[in-house]
Amino acid sequence: MATLSLENVSYVYGQRTPFEIKALDNVSLSVREGTVTGIIGHTGSGKSTLVQLLNGLEKPTSGKVMLDGVDIWEKPREIGKIRFRVGLVMQYPEYQLFEETIRADIAFGPRNMGLSKEEIDHRVSEAAGFVGLDPLLLDKSPFDLSGGQKRRAAIAGVMAMRPEVLVLDEPAAGLDPRGRDTILKGVRTYGRETGSTVIIVSHSMEDMATYCDDIIVMAKGRVCLSGTRDEVFANAKTLTEVGLGVPQITQLALLLEERGVALPGGIYTVEAAVAALKPLFQ
Amino acid sequence: MEEILIHTKDLCYSYEENDHKSPVLRGVSLDIRKGEYVAILGHNGSGKSTFAKLLNGILEPASGELTVAGIDLAAPELSDEDIFQLRRQVGMVFQNPDNQLVATIVEDDVAFGPENLGVPPAEIRSRVDEALATVGMSEYARHEPHRLSGGQKQRVAIAGLIAMRPSCMIFDESTAMLDPSGRREVIETFEKLNREQGITVLTITHYMNEAARADRVIVIDDGRVLADGTPHEIFADPGRLIVAGLDVPQCTSLIHALRGEGIALAGEPISPEECADLICRALEEKKNGNALA
Amino acid sequence: MKNIALGQYYPAESPIHRLDARIKVILAILYIVCTFLCKSALGFAVLAFSAILLILLSRVPIRTVFRAIRPLLFIMIFTAAFNLFLTKGDTAPLWAWQVTEKWTVQIFEAGIYSAVFMVVRIVVLILGTSIFLTYTTTPIALTDAIESLLSPLRVIHLPVHEFAMMMSIALRFIPTLMEETGKIMNAQKARGVDFSHGSLVKRAKALVPILIPLFVSSFRRADELATAMECRCYRGGKGRTKMRVPHLRFADFAAVVLMAGFGTGLVLLNYYGIGYRM
Repeated sequence: MATLSLENVSYVYGQRTPFEIKALDNVSLSVREGTVTGIIGHTGSGKSTLVQLLNGLEKPTSGKVMLDGVDIWEKPREIGKIRFRVGLVMQYPEYQLFEETIRADIAFGPRNMGLSKEEIDHRVSEAAGFVGLDPLLLDKSPFDLSGGQKRRAAIAGVMAMRPEVLVLDEPAAGLDPRGRDTILKGVRTYGRETGSTVIIVSHSMEDMATYCDDIIVMAKGRVCLSGTRDEVFANAKTLTEVGLGVPQITQLALLLEERGVALPGGIYTVEAAVAALKPLFQ
Repeated sequence: MEEILIHTKDLCYSYEENDHKSPVLRGVSLDIRKGEYVAILGHNGSGKSTFAKLLNGILEPASGELTVAGIDLAAPELSDEDIFQLRRQVGMVFQNPDNQLVATIVEDDVAFGPENLGVPPAEIRSRVDEALATVGMSEYARHEPHRLSGGQKQRVAIAGLIAMRPSCMIFDESTAMLDPSGRREVIETFEKLNREQGITVLTITHYMNEAARADRVIVIDDGRVLADGTPHEIFADPGRLIVAGLDVPQCTSLIHALRGEGIALAGEPISPEECADLICRALEEKKNGNALA
Repeated sequence: MKNIALGQYYPAESPIHRLDARIKVILAILYIVCTFLCKSALGFAVLAFSAILLILLSRVPIRTVFRAIRPLLFIMIFTAAFNLFLTKGDTAPLWAWQVTEKWTVQIFEAGIYSAVFMVVRIVVLILGTSIFLTYTTTPIALTDAIESLLSPLRVIHLPVHEFAMMMSIALRFIPTLMEETGKIMNAQKARGVDFSHGSLVKRAKALVPILIPLFVSSFRRADELATAMECRCYRGGKGRTKMRVPHLRFADFAAVVLMAGFGTGLVLLNYYGIGYRM
């Protein structure tokens, strides 16, 4: 369990070259322990850079990334340890599978941590369980699996390191509804059962609304909105203005309000909409 | 507009691996007319991509009838020349934007197709300029593809097809790897082509909101056609789609959920606008009803 | 990673940029010959001057051009030293140092000349070729030019078109694969791979998780690209036209004549010029 926060973090690509781009501009935020936090923003909003700062793959140009109140770059030689504590699943992680079997691939991270064989075995089956991978698949080659299964195996590979903070960059990109739900549910289960903090980067407002407790909205390298799900979706108009849009059901709620139908704020799931509309018909 | 472009009957296809055949398509029968805008919907592994690959001669049918643009693709004596003639009429945009651009400069990539067709140089030039203008990428003509966004790369790929003057374009999950704005760019581009140039558009997708925009939706599940009709007809039965591993638009689910609560609502809205209309109308009627009572 | 410049094409409008790429390949070859024709002090001065003139004509910033030389600095110093100390002249040595009884280091006038000539020759060689071939010609134009210049070899069944196509696809995919390598490295770093510490064997082992996914992905890309190309009616060089049909202009002919004249001038300087001659 750990709390993660950013203090005045800026990140500049290609500093002092003609290609200089400020990807993050004085970002401060904190993630509540044990919650699922969603980060949403356009391509180029800085969210992918942000993700790589969280586990020390990149070092901020200025500012601090704090894990449990300690700057992760305090001892640069020990940044490797931080990467075990803050697990990162990159976009399209299935392309990084390389071992002969799924089992060996999931075990790769724990092996690098220097764990005992028993512990590794335990963690592999536990991680496979989180993402709902059939134990029969574990001894197959990654190349015999479907795209969705490969994706789940790759995510399990990071979960097996049992990071206190699990960060996923677009874990459901390109998957069909069933594949998307399996993965996002698995991630939520991981957070609940291990008490870990989970951070999900996504483009999908619908997924955010369904799976996240807190939401951080990024725009042009800055935090544009942040707070609990209710607080963020209460600003539906701001979200539409920055061009991110809101879930379809929230669009509907806004349209109904425009036409004079009185509804409570913060409708972003079908269930909430049903609950709000039902009384009007009675 | 009534001319049939794609005709299939009992179309079957199996992948062969380790001596055993795993059937992917188990008898698909449908006709697609020229100028139609069709979405083919299905979850991963439903066979929808295999179907697309058959239409373009990338795969050969195992059995059944398959005629595309007047060329019988199930004929045993199919020649390379037939496939060539097919592909100049039926273009395909793939999923990964990076793996379909050949050249290091955008305009050279757009020229690749017409060059293969042996079009005279001066005409290639004008076709390329025109195609880039159509997809709104003229200002990027001299750019390198790897510096473009995903949506821009896909628009370049579309321009590459436009320059070949096809009558049909197939989008094989061409939006799956894009962010929402890239997805919008691509959809708006092919919808424009369908509307303004009468190009037949077949989009293969698992995004409901995309399928809802088409004129006709064909749902493929387990290698068979599960449903075929207008989006309103298709989304009228959410249960069937969920069983097929698909979603329905949130507004559609809402209406069905409200109906489940015993509220009478007539109609099958897909978009928030339609849904708001329907709810407002129902509330209005209820108010009038109450007033009467 | 995204801004990696492949080749070092410098986009600008200049007389050299406008020359036909095939002509530039020929000019580059002629220019290389010129550097070897040069044998007199005046000749080398003219050669150095011509290189500066070329840079100015090309509108590529001098600093950018000299960046091309930096990697070869070591070879240049080595060559200069080699020539400086090992060239023996007919005149008395300018400087000598008896290191041991049998070994004396001597520097002759000829050695100084020869060292300076060699350095000028190498610098001009690199500058000349990079001005003509890399800074003012896009890699793709260069590929096309080579295809066109080699096309007579088709008669002896050399796959010239295929070769050029391979070159251009490689050029197209190098940045993509570089980016991909970066991503895979980051992904494996996130799983605890350490590339920067440990023994050589350990570091080599750390490459396995990078190379396997990279190979797999390259094959997948190659496969998908081949399908996409076929779908765009590609079937080799047969019956293919090209959007860009290069037309030789007066300037192209003039440039070749000028370069030939320049070479002849250098040869004449070897005989009639003033100053030291090799």
